[in-house]
Amino acid sequence: MKLYYFSEMPHHEYPDAEGDKYPSLRLGFPNRFFDRTKAATNYTRYLDEYEFADQAGYHGLMINEHHSTPSCVNIGVNMTAAILARTTRRAKLLLLGNILPIEDNPVRMAEQIAMADLISGGRVLSGFVRGVGVEQWWANANPVHNRERFEECHDLILKCWTEPGPFRWEGRHYHFRHVNPWCLPLQQPYPPIWIPGTASPETAIWAGRRGYTYVPFLVPFDVARQLFDFYRQGAAEAGRTVTADNLGFLICAVTADTKAKALEAGRHFVWRMGPTLRGPVDWFQPVGMRSRAGTQFALRSRPRSLAAMSYEELVDEHFIIAGTPDEVADRFAHVQRELGIGHLLLEAQESRMDHPTTMRSIELMGAKVIPALATV
Amino acid sequence: MHTTERTIRVGGIDVHTWIGGRGDPLLVLHGAGGNRGFTRWTHEVAEHFTVWAPTHPGFGASGDADWMEGIDDLARFYLWFIDAAKLGRPHLLGQSIGGWTAAEMAAMSPGSIDRLVLVDPVGLKPETGEILDVFYHSPAELRDVMVHDPKAVPDWDELFGRTPTPAELEIATRNREMAARLTWKPYMHNPRLAQFLPRVANRTLIVWGREDRIVPVECGEQWRRLLPNATLTVLDRCGHLPPLEQPERFARLVLDFLGDARR
Repeated sequence: MKLYYFSEMPHHEYPDAEGDKYPSLRLGFPNRFFDRTKAATNYTRYLDEYEFADQAGYHGLMINEHHSTPSCVNIGVNMTAAILARTTRRAKLLLLGNILPIEDNPVRMAEQIAMADLISGGRVLSGFVRGVGVEQWWANANPVHNRERFEECHDLILKCWTEPGPFRWEGRHYHFRHVNPWCLPLQQPYPPIWIPGTASPETAIWAGRRGYTYVPFLVPFDVARQLFDFYRQGAAEAGRTVTADNLGFLICAVTADTKAKALEAGRHFVWRMGPTLRGPVDWFQPVGMRSRAGTQFALRSRPRSLAAMSYEELVDEHFIIAGTPDEVADRFAHVQRELGIGHLLLEAQESRMDHPTTMRSIELMGAKVIPALATV
Repeated sequence: MHTTERTIRVGGIDVHTWIGGRGDPLLVLHGAGGNRGFTRWTHEVAEHFTVWAPTHPGFGASGDADWMEGIDDLARFYLWFIDAAKLGRPHLLGQSIGGWTAAEMAAMSPGSIDRLVLVDPVGLKPETGEILDVFYHSPAELRDVMVHDPKAVPDWDELFGRTPTPAELEIATRNREMAARLTWKPYMHNPRLAQFLPRVANRTLIVWGREDRIVPVECGEQWRRLLPNATLTVLDRCGHLPPLEQPERFARLVLDFLGDARR
C-alpha cells in the first residue's frame, strides 16, 4: 500500500473565541483575522514539510484547495503543484484536486496541470473534485449546475489532452472558439485521474466507469464499502476490473516517539472535524448541489457527524490514527484489510500541530511505517 | 369561488394552472416560494376577473425545465403560455420573481398584455441597499423575514402553522432549486432590463411593502421612474408579501386599478 502526505495548510492563527462568535469559520469569518506575517512564515514551513516528506520516502504528496476559510489557505492547487514540481524530486504530486464546477476556463486549467506535469518530470496525479458548497459561494457559481459543469469541464480538459488542436468547443456551460493548447502533459495520454467521494453514489459510479482512482474521504468503513460497491457497479458497466490500485482512502494520522506524544499531537485533528465544518447547511450544501440520490445516501449512511464525535471516538473508528510507528503501521494495515485499498492518504498536519512534531512524524513514517506497509 | 385545476401544455411542458372567477383574464405569476393557488385576495379579485394562476415550470406540480437559464426564458415561456391558453391580451400581475417575469414580458412584447401589476418585484439592481440573498439563508430563517409581522397575517397558521409533509418538503426543495436556476447570477436582477423598461407604456401599478426586508422599498421608486405610465403604492406595516399580509387592502388596490379597464 502506498502512503501520501497531505497538509491543508491551515491558518489557525487567531483566538478561537473570535471564531466562535461567527456562525461558521468559512465564508463569514472576517479576513481581518488573517495574519499576513504568520501566513508568510507558514507557507515556507508547509512547503518545507512537503519537501521533507518527499525526501522521507512518501509515495506521493497530496495537495488540495479551499477558499474563504482558515481551515485551508492553499488557495491554488496548480500553483502549489508548480512549486512542488520544482522543489521535490521523487514523490508523485497528487492534486486532489482542482474544483471543476467553479472553473470558468477549463483550457487554462488543462494547460496549468500539463505544465506542472512537465516541470515535475511526469509526476502529476490529476484529481478532479466537485468541491464543497462554500466554494460555490466563493466563486458565485450556480450550485444547480455543479454536476453538469464538473462533467463538461472534465470532458473539455480531456479533449485538450487527447485531441490535436485547433478545435472548437460549444457545450452547455463552456464555449471556446479556438482550442489549441501549446502545453501538453508529459505523461501520455494524460496524467492518472483521481476522484474523491464522501456521499454521492453518482460520482462513484462515474469514476468506476472511467477507471479513475476513487478515494472516499473521512467516512466510516461501511460507508466506504458502499461507495466502493457503487464504484464497482460503474466499472462493471464499462467492463473494467477493479484492483486495489483503483481504490484509496483518506484519514488523519500522526506518529511520534511515544504513544502519549502521538495522542497529544493527534488532538489537533479534532479542529478539522468540528469547528472548521461548523456552519449553516446552505453554506456547505447550497440548494441543488447534491442530487436527491446523493442526499438520501448521505442521510442513510452518516447518522453522526464527525463534529459530534469525541477525540476518543474518532480514534476508535479510524478517522484519526495516532501512535508509535509500530502502532500506526498496524492500524494502517487494518484499514487496508478492511477496505482492500492500494493508496492511503494521510492528512498529517492540522490546526496548531507544530513544525518539530510534524517533521518528526514525517521522519518516523519514512523510516519505519512506509517500509512496513510497502508489502501490505 | 369555484376554482378548477388544469394542465396546459406549452412547449412540451405541462403547466399546472389554477383557474377561477369571471370577467377578463388576469394572469398571476407567483414568487420564488411557489404557487399557493387561490388565497383570500385572489378570491376577491376573481369576483370581477378570471384569474389564471399557473405554476412556473420546475415548480410545484408543473413539469421540469432544466434547460432554462434565467427569468428571460421564463418570460418568453409565459408569452407562449398566453397564446396556448388563448388568453388574448390579459392583465398581468406578478409578485417578486413573478413580478420580474411580468416586467420582462412587458418589455419583450408590450402589446401582448393589457395592464401590469408588479408586487415587490426583484429584477432591478437596487440603487441603495441590496436584495437579500435568499439562498444564503435557510427556509426557516426566510419565513421570519418574509413578512413584517407574522401575527398580523390573517392566514398565517393555515399557510405556515403546521409541519410540512414529506411531499410538501420535496416540492419546497424543488421550488428553491428552480429559483436558484433562474436567478443565481446576476443575483435576482437583469442588468439590462432598465434599458428596456421605457418601452413599457402599459398602465402599471407598483405595490410595495414599506417593511420589505427582501427587496428594499426604495426600488419601488426606481421602477416607477423607469416605467412611463406607472404609479407606486407603498403599504405600511407590510413586508415582502402584500397579498398575504394585507389581502383585503391588496385586492382592493388591484380591483381599483383594473376596474375601469373592464371590457
